[in-house]
This record gives sequence, structure tokens and C-alpha cells, in this order.
Amino acid sequence: MSPQEYDEQYAADRAAIEDLMARYLFALDYNDLDSFIEMFTDDAEFEFARGRVAGKANILEAVKGFKKRIGEHYKDEDGNPAVLRHVLAHTAIRVVGDRAWTRAQWFEMANDGPGKSLKMGTFGIYEDKLRKVDGRWLFSERRIMNEFLPGRESGPENPIRSMDAAAA
Amino acid sequence: MSGYARDRAEIADLMARYLFAMDYHDADAYAECFTEDGVLDYAMGTLVGREAIRAEALVFRDKIAEVFKDWQGNPAKLRHLVHQKALEIDGERAWHVGLWWEMTNGGPEGSVATPSFGTYEDELARVDGRWLFKRRKIYNEFLPGRESGLGNPVLAMGGGR
Repeated sequence: MSPQEYDEQYAADRAAIEDLMARYLFALDYNDLDSFIEMFTDDAEFEFARGRVAGKANILEAVKGFKKRIGEHYKDEDGNPAVLRHVLAHTAIRVVGDRAWTRAQWFEMANDGPGKSLKMGTFGIYEDKLRKVDGRWLFSERRIMNEFLPGRESGPENPIRSMDAAAA
Repeated sequence: MSGYARDRAEIADLMARYLFAMDYHDADAYAECFTEDGVLDYAMGTLVGREAIRAEALVFRDKIAEVFKDWQGNPAKLRHLVHQKALEIDGERAWHVGLWWEMTNGGPEGSVATPSFGTYEDELARVDGRWLFKRRKIYNEFLPGRESGLGNPVLAMGGGR
């Protein structure tokens, strides 16, 4: 397996991909699904707790369902939809030309604790494929693994191994 | 683009790979984050040399299982996270101070627990074109004797150069 080439192009691509991953979370948490869906390639695949869908139209429908379920599941103590934030932590990124892969740690927190205090939700990882289309990095596949949902856990193997194998 | 941005991108990737190796118990990938003569100084001991670090990483799972349990007594899922990273680079050497914390599924009824936080204080070296940890010291504000102290750790970066 050839290791990542950490050249100046890598730094530029990594910066753009980190920006995309930040924008994704703001779009998701602020219910801006127009911005959200533009971050995917036309043929993108999206896999989360409720299944796997392909194509932008299907991803949009799936995310609407996901948002609806979040609104029902996460409530503050007055019964209002909770303010939920997904948080991105360390991110390993592989880049080969116009293709890239990530493995990234996420967790979530909301105001659904006692007295509307902060309560930690769940955590897991993103396993992404990206393509650079017309100079812009987009998700061509996002798999969302969650350590608190049976059957959706990441591992047990180090997720970096499958990323490096895919990039080889 | 400056060399700093290139080096910082590579080191950020190293930090992420380190944490995945750690939390998924991949001893080989973990040891490969260190130089041959690398040093790991953490709560459970100080290991000198990549092979000693590899041997230690092989028993991380058992050591961690004794400390972190879920509400039913099973080994908890432990995840370390690193946030802000101050990084100073001088040629083939670099110094890093980062804030880490950890979370597990060890809270009541399988919820998230957040046991502790601390700092990573690192020296790195570029060996054959690759940035690696030459020394990683892990401070933990919740373990007596392992606190990072009162002084700004960033001021000590590159100390003794």
C-alpha cells in the first residue's frame, strides 16, 4: 500500500475538504437542505441508520425523514424540539488526484438535559468518499456509523485500514 | 502556499490516524506514528522506543477495560478527541500542544460519559520525509500528578532547542 503523498496539493485539498465537512454540519443542524444537497455528487450514495439511498433526490428525501425523526426524538424538557448540534472532531483524509476518502470522529449534543442543560447524545464516525467535480470537492458517498445503534457500529478493525486499502 | 500549511496538514492527519489506531486497538498503526526512538509518556508509564510502544499498545485494550466500563460492566467504548492544536515547526523538528478530551458509552443506561481532559505536549521529527512523534507526553487534569500545570504550555514549545 502506498502511503499518502503529503505535498502542497494535499494541504490545499485537505483545507477544502475540512471546509466542506464544516459546511455540511451547519447546513444539517440549521435545516438548510438546499445547501446540504449541493454537497453531493449527482450519483452520490448516503448510508445511515435507516438504510442506504442513491442519487440526490433520494438523499434529500432521506434527510428530510431523518430531520423529522430528530425533531420527534430530541425534545427539551418543555417538549419543544431540542437544539441539536453535530460536532466534528479529528479527521483522517486520503487524497489521490480528484478522489478522496475520510474517516472522521463525530458526536452530538443538545439542550435536552435537565433544565434544558447540555446533554451528550451519541457518537460515531463518518466514512466518506469524495470527488473533485469542476474544481469543487463533493461527497460521492457518506456512511454514518453510530456506536450506540446495534448494527451500525464502526470497527472493530481500525477504520483507517479500509480507507488506505480503498486508496491503494 | 507556505511549507507550514503543508506540514500542518500532514501533522493533522497524523494526529487523526494516531487516535483511530489508539481507540480501535491497532497496535501496529499506533507504533508507526512514533520514530524508532520515540517516547510515550502517559498515565500508565513511560515507554521508550517504537517496539516498547508497540508492546504497550497491545495491552491498551486490557488496561482500558479495567478503567472504563459501561453500565452493565462490559468494557466501554472509549474515544479520544483532539481539538485546538498549536504547532511550531522548525525544519525537520516540530512542537505541538493540543487539547484532548475523552468520551465513552459508560454513562447511566448506556449514555455518554465524559471522564476527563488534558493536553498533549509533543515533539515531532521528520524522518525520511514523514512527520512522526518523537515524544508524546499526555497530561490529564483529572489525575493527581499528571496535571498540565499553571503555566501556558505553548510557551515551552521548542524549549531546549
